[in-house]
Amino acid sequence: MKTLDRGLSWLLAGRRSAASHLLLSPAAAWLIVFLVLPALGLVALSLARNGAYGTVVWSLNLDNYQRAVDPRYVPVLLRTLAFAGATTALCLVLGYPLAYFLSFRAGRFRGALIIALMVPFWTSALVAFYSWMVILGKEGLLNTALLRFGFISAPLGILYTPFSVLLGLVYFYLPFTVLPLYGSLEKIPRSYVEAAYDLGAGRWTAFLKVTLPLSLPGVIAGALLTFIPCLGDFLTAELLGGPRYYLLGNLISNQFLMAQDWPFGAALTTLLLAGMIGGLWAYRRWEPDA
Amino acid sequence: MKKGRGLALYCAGLYAFLYIPLAVMTVFSFNNAHRNVVWLGFTLKWYARLWKDADLMNAMLTSVELAAAAAAIAAVLGVLASYALTRHKNFHGREGYAALLDAPLMIPEVALGVGLLSFLVRAGFELNFGALACAHALICLPYSVGAARARLKSIGGERLEEAAMDLGASEWAAFVKVTLPLLAPAIVSGSLLAFTVSFEDFVTSFFLAGIGIVTLPIKIYAMMKFGVTPEINALSVVLLAATFILLGLNAWLAVRTGEATRL
Amino acid sequence: MATDVSRRDFVKAALLAPLLPSLLAACRRADRGPVVNFFNWSNYIGKDTLPNFTKETGIAVRYDLFADEEEMFAKLRAGAAGYDLIVVGDYLIPRFRALNMIDPVPPGVLKNQGNLAPGFRHPPYDPDEATVPYLWGTTGIAYNRKTLKTKPTSWWDLWDPKYKDRLSMLDNVRDCVALAMQLLNIPQTTSDPADFKKVRDLLVRQKPLVKMYSSTSYLNSLVAGEIDLAMTWSGDLFQAAKDNPDLDYCLPKEGTYMWVDCLALMRGSRHRENALRLIDYLLEPQVAADNANYVRYASPNAKAWPLADPVLRRDPRVYPPPKRMAELKMHHVLDPEQTELWNQTWADVKVA
Repeated sequence: MKTLDRGLSWLLAGRRSAASHLLLSPAAAWLIVFLVLPALGLVALSLARNGAYGTVVWSLNLDNYQRAVDPRYVPVLLRTLAFAGATTALCLVLGYPLAYFLSFRAGRFRGALIIALMVPFWTSALVAFYSWMVILGKEGLLNTALLRFGFISAPLGILYTPFSVLLGLVYFYLPFTVLPLYGSLEKIPRSYVEAAYDLGAGRWTAFLKVTLPLSLPGVIAGALLTFIPCLGDFLTAELLGGPRYYLLGNLISNQFLMAQDWPFGAALTTLLLAGMIGGLWAYRRWEPDA
Repeated sequence: MKKGRGLALYCAGLYAFLYIPLAVMTVFSFNNAHRNVVWLGFTLKWYARLWKDADLMNAMLTSVELAAAAAAIAAVLGVLASYALTRHKNFHGREGYAALLDAPLMIPEVALGVGLLSFLVRAGFELNFGALACAHALICLPYSVGAARARLKSIGGERLEEAAMDLGASEWAAFVKVTLPLLAPAIVSGSLLAFTVSFEDFVTSFFLAGIGIVTLPIKIYAMMKFGVTPEINALSVVLLAATFILLGLNAWLAVRTGEATRL
Repeated sequence: MATDVSRRDFVKAALLAPLLPSLLAACRRADRGPVVNFFNWSNYIGKDTLPNFTKETGIAVRYDLFADEEEMFAKLRAGAAGYDLIVVGDYLIPRFRALNMIDPVPPGVLKNQGNLAPGFRHPPYDPDEATVPYLWGTTGIAYNRKTLKTKPTSWWDLWDPKYKDRLSMLDNVRDCVALAMQLLNIPQTTSDPADFKKVRDLLVRQKPLVKMYSSTSYLNSLVAGEIDLAMTWSGDLFQAAKDNPDLDYCLPKEGTYMWVDCLALMRGSRHRENALRLIDYLLEPQVAADNANYVRYASPNAKAWPLADPVLRRDPRVYPPPKRMAELKMHHVLDPEQTELWNQTWADVKVA
């Protein structure tokens, strides 16, 4: 019992770095087994060749990467970049005023409002998208209402358009943008803004010269946290995009589940992961309290 | 001065946008009609049907078990890791650990799903409940670490622990008697978040769920694919209610301990 | 003292928490008697067939659905253990056998195998009868008699711009690529990338018109009148027509394919005996007849024919007359290289 106590105390005291590594080892092991090794496995798989009936023939070649830039897939990649970029831009533009409001104006409602912002995020995307399908469909709520009140004479095709995909993406990723924005706005000392007022700056000048520049780290963090997961999104296009707006995520999932070409799917995923790691690195660099 | 009225209205609009789908679903779950759009009167029959649907109840139970297992694993790993990250001052690789622990938040879900699928299959694991629970624990981990780290930082318990140790307690005794009770609310709230993450997860389960493992989101997806019934609305509302309860509990804990946990 | 107790409780709870789910699981999955795990297409079994089987034999059936056989194949490849009995399309049988994913049905153990019509014994796709034919059908065009001014007669109607956003295609590599090849007069045995480019171009050209690629939910849309025209499998459409009598089915003039879905035993199955009993049960004349009456596909079971609904039995859309029957083609058995080309072509069409 005594030795056990002493051992555990040694672990907790952390006077030796071995103790720290030991305490971190279970979590690290988990991340290595279920995240790092699978990712490395994907890289290895991406260099392999597709064999008979979707079996894997190990080899070392870059054919799969060459295929990723085949004219067949370039439009998908460009479409994905465009959707991710548009989503990020929209989320920033829509979300910044909200983050500003939460940080500077919300007063005692702030906590409740932040939780309220997170509820849709915590709700299953599946459930929210299903509801959007009900709203936007040809015989959906929106069309029915517009028809009844005579705004339109024939149902609009809203679902399964770029618009519905974008709507779904913005809906889902808005909290990812707003929370880092809010975080960085919170860090701005209020005295700076007041000093600007004291020096005779108007509200807009103070905002443009003081608040906005100081919140830039949050803008960058929010943009990255939106843009990167967006690149791999496959549910939104699958449910709200209909047959014509498939994104990189769908291309990847189809390689695994439909085309039976795991090496090519792995190559596409590796490219996506490379993008993620680049983004993560940038995020660490820009993060305010890194 | 009425400054900022416009901004407040704008924000209200944004919140409306976020809540419209949830509201629509809730309303239609009480609609006595097979097709969604027309209101034909109030009914509870879709909920009654849910209750009687053995497959659905099984899926619900599977999801609960899965989320509980994943949250439990994540809680244990998370507490150990965050203790070292916050309390231990001098060791190499702290930044690396921190970055690694955040990685599951950033990785695109589809990459994680297919990566785990091909890895587990190649490594010869059976895609059973345990494998899925381990994968879910991974996506839960950042949340339990985040909650525990924030709490450990804010209670600044070094002094309390030191006081205990000055009174002759070992580090372990100080941890159990002082730190752990103070940490408990954060463990619970982190676990609640982790539970929610696992409970709502679709993408990871979609790729990894082996034979006969049907979680609630997978079941909803199948219902959407094989034909839309109003039962989905009711089921979604149940899920939503569960989310509200869990988040409410979490918020209540945060208020009680005087801090908001991170995302 | 009080804090002591609560702390101890907390530690205990923390230790017990991980055990709880497994405990729950143990309770739920506790032995519930004999079972068989069955993986089948959606819309592909009579409503009472499996409950009756359980009633008669005491064997519970754990029943899962798929909507795309390539996805089914991928899932089985990934985590093959678990299912005892699966339904496989004729063209997939050589692939499953080449990869050792199914075991042949041992000869002589099925007492009802003799009920099958001679045409379904020792077929070219499965000459040594490793699997047992379940149901068969054709691929054709579903349409809404009321909303369509002219009845479709040709596959090319699915490329007619006037049906933009009112038509759906099956989400199935085998049917769609085979159709494009047929329309382009390309033999299914081709391995020429140029041929597959033509196939892809033809299918991509159709894409702007297609409201959805679906093998299941399009039936709801047909019933609801959201689409008027669909590439479909015979029985699925006849099931949907129960809900909307305006729906009709045509075999296009260019001809079409017939296919046979077969019951196969998964390798590594833990309930082999039960799976065999289920196969034998499904082969019983009355069971097969009731099943076919419900799903409205044609039965390969000759003993079931006299017991089947005479309306269906006489319906030339279900059981085509001998002359049309002779015109129906079967899918070719593809080698691995061709399979890859087919799958990749279809995946490319989907993301185009």
